[in-house]
Amino acid sequence: MDVLVQLILNGIMLGSMYAIIAVGLTLIFGIVRVVNFAHGEFLMVGMYAVYLISKHMGVHPYVSALPAMVLLFAIGALVQRFIIQKLLNADEHIQIFATVGLSTALINGALMVFGADLFSVNAPEVRKTIALGPMNVLIGHIVIFSAALALVAGLHIFMQKTVLGSAIRATAQNRYAAQLMGVKVERIYIISFGLGAACVGLASALIMPLYPVSPTIGSYFVLTAFVVVVLGGMRSMYGAFFGALIIGVVDSLSGYYIAPDLKEVVYFAIFILILIFKPTGLFGFGRGTE
Amino acid sequence: MSPHRSPFNPLTLLLRLTEPRVYVSFLALSLLLVIPLLLDSPFAIHIFVTICVFGALSTAWNIVGGYAGQLSLGHTIFYGVGGYSAALLIQHFGLSPWLGMWAGAILSVGIAVGIGYPAFRLRGPFFSLATIAFLEVIRLLVIHFHGFTGGSAGLIVPLKIGWAWMIFQDKFNYLIIAFGLLVLSLFVSWAVRATRLGYYLIAVREREDAASAAGISTTRVKLIAVMISAALTSFVGTFHAMYLTFLEPGTMFSLSAAIEIAMFALIGGLGTVAGPLLGTVFVVPIAEAARGWLGASANGLHGLVYGTVLVLITLTLPGGLVGTFGRKVAALIDRLPGARKPEDREAPALRQITGTPGETVLEAKNLVMKFGGLTATDNVSISLKRGEILGIIGPNGAGKTTVFNQISGFLIPTAGTVSVRDGAGMVQPATPDDFARRGVGRTFQIVQPFGKLSVIENIMIGAFMHHHNVDDARESALRVAHLVGLHTLKDVEARNLPIGDLKRLEVARTLATEPAILLLDEVMAGQNQADTRKMVEIIRAIRGTGVTVVAIEHNMQAIMSLSDRIIVIDSGKVIAEGEPETVVRDRRVIEAYLGEDFVHAQGL
Repeated sequence: MDVLVQLILNGIMLGSMYAIIAVGLTLIFGIVRVVNFAHGEFLMVGMYAVYLISKHMGVHPYVSALPAMVLLFAIGALVQRFIIQKLLNADEHIQIFATVGLSTALINGALMVFGADLFSVNAPEVRKTIALGPMNVLIGHIVIFSAALALVAGLHIFMQKTVLGSAIRATAQNRYAAQLMGVKVERIYIISFGLGAACVGLASALIMPLYPVSPTIGSYFVLTAFVVVVLGGMRSMYGAFFGALIIGVVDSLSGYYIAPDLKEVVYFAIFILILIFKPTGLFGFGRGTE
Repeated sequence: MSPHRSPFNPLTLLLRLTEPRVYVSFLALSLLLVIPLLLDSPFAIHIFVTICVFGALSTAWNIVGGYAGQLSLGHTIFYGVGGYSAALLIQHFGLSPWLGMWAGAILSVGIAVGIGYPAFRLRGPFFSLATIAFLEVIRLLVIHFHGFTGGSAGLIVPLKIGWAWMIFQDKFNYLIIAFGLLVLSLFVSWAVRATRLGYYLIAVREREDAASAAGISTTRVKLIAVMISAALTSFVGTFHAMYLTFLEPGTMFSLSAAIEIAMFALIGGLGTVAGPLLGTVFVVPIAEAARGWLGASANGLHGLVYGTVLVLITLTLPGGLVGTFGRKVAALIDRLPGARKPEDREAPALRQITGTPGETVLEAKNLVMKFGGLTATDNVSISLKRGEILGIIGPNGAGKTTVFNQISGFLIPTAGTVSVRDGAGMVQPATPDDFARRGVGRTFQIVQPFGKLSVIENIMIGAFMHHHNVDDARESALRVAHLVGLHTLKDVEARNLPIGDLKRLEVARTLATEPAILLLDEVMAGQNQADTRKMVEIIRAIRGTGVTVVAIEHNMQAIMSLSDRIIVIDSGKVIAEGEPETVVRDRRVIEAYLGEDFVHAQGL
């Protein structure tokens, strides 16, 4: 029993990491209506940035969260401005190829600059566990879980209470109607893509102390994030958050009860089943929300 | 009627060898053998083997990704299955890879159906994501069952040298096989494009609904495409595994290779026969040369080049090399001496629909359609007699198009049945394409042209239902184009047509399926007077060939003069039915159109 509870707790902690990445992906898909196949590579870029800042300035990786978010916001905004914006009316396959090409270029660019070696930062305190009743939790995981909650809460307030948030929601609902109401849709898209990318900036600072960075680290996380997004109904931030927790738990349980190397098979199978049989997502958030 | 030709004759390509486009293609292709033969260096041979392998893979991918528009990013599944099947059969049974490649292809085709059947329901990026997920699952399973596959450690192909084992000391032999596979892929791809299947795939890519209305079973044609593509990809996988002599899950089931295959096709021109190979020829040497130039230190350079070129292509030449320069180059080639393609001929007449006039050809009984709380059709019954023109009128939102959608299979009624005459009896078709093949043709209120096909090709999509040979279909389509007055525009791309012509194209495409019943949904809306008169004449001419016509229309003058019988629908119910003169005087009809006040004012 204790094992099961511990596994579920681990799963939720792991899930909150996917949640931050998936929320970013959802923002971009929900608002700009583009699936960002380069999302994982944004994470990879963020992690290298965090690594470099920590190494050269000697600061804790958590401190680099802010510069990483700013950097990623800028990258996201630039990608939107100079690539996606020009392809908004292009065929869907062109949009797919554009972000797939970006992903390929970023992975291989990183390979040229950093090589295939793994880099990690030294932050031992993050890897300490604390006892939560009978269970043990990594401090780093608690930080990630809290950050994920704060992110969703913060974005919720931003979307519901600010003028910019309303403009973003209006644009997500209907880009032409929003345009007719005087919303500068192009600017909204740039901001939204930037925000989505900034989420992985946050994620990269939180993940860096726990996982070493390599050029292909992005695909490892982002494929899971795609599973989460589909599970959550593709356009809902809240769906993505809960979907991430579920996938985290599935990951943790199947790794223990089935086989560690088959846990991805389990959630990819869930992914395929959901896509095919319940494309509006597990919670029915798929239509109209956010 | 023209005598029926066989659907496809592979010898036609050889007979056309004197045409400039054909002989130039063959000459250009042979350079892939001639240049490495002249250079005679192992490195050159390696590059050309790589070009042939990726050219063949990309060409095979294009049958699904280009023609059918299903952007698979998991195609290395079939490549890996081809490689592993052959390698394991050599290892365990000493079977030659020439036989093993067939085992791999059969397995790949099975997997293709298993993946395609569920995944083809998905659209756009979600289809791509699902294919990536399938690729990951298969790769992880291959790693997991390491006792059988060798797992992450990989598998070494037993080194038996000679043609029987596909392993050589003289590297040029590899090039011969790779070139052969490339030619095979190109030939199959050309054959698909040049026949009905290719047109059907493009129709499905452009507009799935209109394709079903033309009688195409969309899932079936996509499955055929992926089966062909999987078999070819698997063949190449077998060969490449023998060439590399070492298999590991990471390289055989690689996502980045799957992306490369797709990107070469896009760079060269998606959905064209030559595009995938041209893309490969264009990009692979750049990347290889850059690598040779900068040396081994430039790890990742070729990927950086690929990715950057891909992004640039999407921004600047979304049609790829062929889509952008194809026409100009083709025009230049056509100036060369040689035979010309024969002029188009026109079929002498459309098929006359026969049957007893006045018999019931379509019977809709008590149709009920509910969308959530809204009842869009409420107990509607329609009985259609052969040879009549039935007008359906009613205010906007009355449920007319919903009735159409039910009697053409696009909506399954919540309750009620639709049966259609098939010979002596009545049948109940299940799907839109089934309805179409039973002789129920329909147009769409919001026109649904296949935008990137020409006018004549749009009409051919309909004509293919009864004419399986491309030339027969073209002749029949020309006949229809003539009837509706679109023959002068036959080579214009449909997306460039104005609305009046698009409406006529809707009618033409449906008419080309030679329907017994033609359902016309507001084909006169938004037309000027001259166009309306033309359409009325066309509809009369169609009825003259024995076709039964049902028309939804708002143009009262036109529909009253055309129809033998009128049905009025309001709020989902039939409120009046009868001859035009009686229906226009019906109190309920006037009320529905002009309101109660008007009825009172008129003292009716």
